[in-house]
Amino acid sequence: MRFLRSPRAAPFLLLLPSIVVILAVVAVPLVVSFWTSFTPYNLTRPATLYDFVGWRNYRRLMGNSDFWWAFGRTVVFITIALNLELLLGLGLALLMNNIRKGERTLRTIMMFPMMFSPILVGFMFKYLFNDAIGLVNNALFDLHIISRPIPWLVDGALANLTIILAEIWMSTSVFAILLLAGLLALPKEPIEAARVDGCNPWQVFRHITLPFLMPFIFIAMTIRSLDVARAYDMVRIMTNGGPAGRTELIWTLMVRTGYQNSQMGMANAMGYVSILLSIFFTVFFYRKLVAARSFMAGAQ
Amino acid sequence: MTNMLRKALMASCALAGTAGMALADGYDYGSFEGYTLRVKLIGGTQYERLYTRIPEWEALTGARVEIVSSKNHFDLDREIKQDIASGDISWCVGSNHTSFAPQYGDLYIDLRDHIPQSELDQYVQGTLASAMVDGRLVQLPRVTDVSNLYYRRSLYEDPDNQARWREEHGTELAPPTTFDEFRDQVIFFADPPNLYGTAFAGKDEGASGRFMEILRANGGDLFDEDWNPIFNSPEGVAALQWFVDIYNAGAVPAGTVNYTWDDIGQAMAAGQLALDLDWPGFAAYYADPSASKIADELGFALAPVGAAGVRGAWSGSHSFSVTQACDNIEAAVSFAVFLTNDESELMEAQAGNLPTRTATFGEVIDWFNDNDQPYMADMFEVWQGSLAEARTPPLIPQWIEVSNVLWPQLQAAIVGEKTPQEALDAAAAQAREILEDAGIL
Repeated sequence: MRFLRSPRAAPFLLLLPSIVVILAVVAVPLVVSFWTSFTPYNLTRPATLYDFVGWRNYRRLMGNSDFWWAFGRTVVFITIALNLELLLGLGLALLMNNIRKGERTLRTIMMFPMMFSPILVGFMFKYLFNDAIGLVNNALFDLHIISRPIPWLVDGALANLTIILAEIWMSTSVFAILLLAGLLALPKEPIEAARVDGCNPWQVFRHITLPFLMPFIFIAMTIRSLDVARAYDMVRIMTNGGPAGRTELIWTLMVRTGYQNSQMGMANAMGYVSILLSIFFTVFFYRKLVAARSFMAGAQ
Repeated sequence: MTNMLRKALMASCALAGTAGMALADGYDYGSFEGYTLRVKLIGGTQYERLYTRIPEWEALTGARVEIVSSKNHFDLDREIKQDIASGDISWCVGSNHTSFAPQYGDLYIDLRDHIPQSELDQYVQGTLASAMVDGRLVQLPRVTDVSNLYYRRSLYEDPDNQARWREEHGTELAPPTTFDEFRDQVIFFADPPNLYGTAFAGKDEGASGRFMEILRANGGDLFDEDWNPIFNSPEGVAALQWFVDIYNAGAVPAGTVNYTWDDIGQAMAAGQLALDLDWPGFAAYYADPSASKIADELGFALAPVGAAGVRGAWSGSHSFSVTQACDNIEAAVSFAVFLTNDESELMEAQAGNLPTRTATFGEVIDWFNDNDQPYMADMFEVWQGSLAEARTPPLIPQWIEVSNVLWPQLQAAIVGEKTPQEALDAAAAQAREILEDAGIL
């Protein structure tokens, strides 16, 4: 009681509302879901929440080839999608940075894909790449490029490519906006000095612009690697992981297990394994960010 | 005195009027003045037309209806499961479906304890029987789905097609009556990319259900009487081979393995399919000239029979259920009965759905004939014939879970990754594990 009245308690008391909110919104659901991953918790049989089965769910996951295929495919999906989004976003940002007229309008147009919900994007690309009535196949037919419809969403490689394409369309602008902010904050003096010293545009980009942009790139990468799971809705609409599991990602598998099959305990175990994946990406990008910042400090 | 007498007369007339209204159709809908009934209803254009009758029920009973949730059935299912998990059932009436109902345990009441038998006798008895779970009537069906054939008459009336078919098969060209004929005809009509023989739902319960339908038509079934999975039987392999054959022949769009009902409906309405084994709900859409290219050539036929000479007649019903936790069960039951009474069912049937009250079939056939839509009247006459054989998927809580291990394996066989036997053996092993975990096996 005396401690509560002492000045030393002030920081704790002031932080108390935040601590309570964080506990309620983050910590409690995290602990409960972690607990359920050690139970056979079934949504429609709440009593199963209290049956402790140890590592059974995790053991089953270790021997479940469908899960590991989905896991591996998710890693490949994230790696390819994020890197291509970065490259295209960087290109867009560099182009935008050189535009002097109608810049605001273009910036707004560039943000359009971000405004679409992933479900809408899913429906749009499913229609575009429908083998029978889709726009892409019809265009290819009309141009006499193909004589038989291409099964875009059926063939394993093409289906994954199409999903990556949809994801890139939806999220490249996030990179472009963040990197454009970085470009606008770039000091002009080093670039001008480099030009005076006779550097060509590629050398300026490689040795001045890119190092300055690296912190922005890694922040964008970190944000996107955490929020890339938004693509779940899009994949669900386009293929729902099929056909024959060819486009199954860990998110489609988890939702089917947790909600349709009601096996929330098993789904949470999958979730915790995929959290490890997120932590890995976050730590990786954070280390890169720290390294880039120290490099930039050195450059300054 | 005269004034008082007049007032008393008017009051008694009003009372009699109210009583007469509350007793509409001979069913006592009760009086629940000031009560607010909380409901969770399936959303979507084809379902919401019925809800325009809710104000009538409110006027009849004095209660008010609060729709606390309106979502598509998959999202609603997810929400209801979350409610069960959290123990927070603060609503009374929920939309339900025969495929989903077994999952919900004792969430809903047995309606036979609250609805007189004379009222229940007015429903189609086969439909009512399929609404039972563990011997309890947990739902009151509002529309029935049973799959039958839509076909394009022009293709069958075309002299060239008739001659070619006669030459190839030695019989007259007519809508298929067996699945073998169905396979031969979809391959015969296919002329991709302009015309495909048919398309099928290739994922989710749509794929599992269609497989189950052909399996049963071949004389097989998903489980034996002890719930051992037996769908990897020769009948099952033959059923899956049917899909493989039409897929390999290019008689269906390659993307059909990702199709759901909407995709098939759009393709049929766009004139891209010759035949479509589908639900009655599509009839009005296909017959609407403003939305469909095949409106003036739409034909209806009963679903084909399989090798065993019977129809699989995959069936299911959308329905209403009342929760055990409801604070006014009588009001909730009154609401469910009202939304499935003769007037409500006629409204559903006029939109092209198969009604669940026996009397409605005759009424709606007359109505379509009177309103110059004889083809829709034909549909009800043809499709009513399949109701006697209608069969739902197994009414166990694990059906959706089993379906979710079955359809990826069906896909694997269809796209050629596995043989039908390998795919079905793998699915049967997974289904066995699910039923063992559930304590059924």
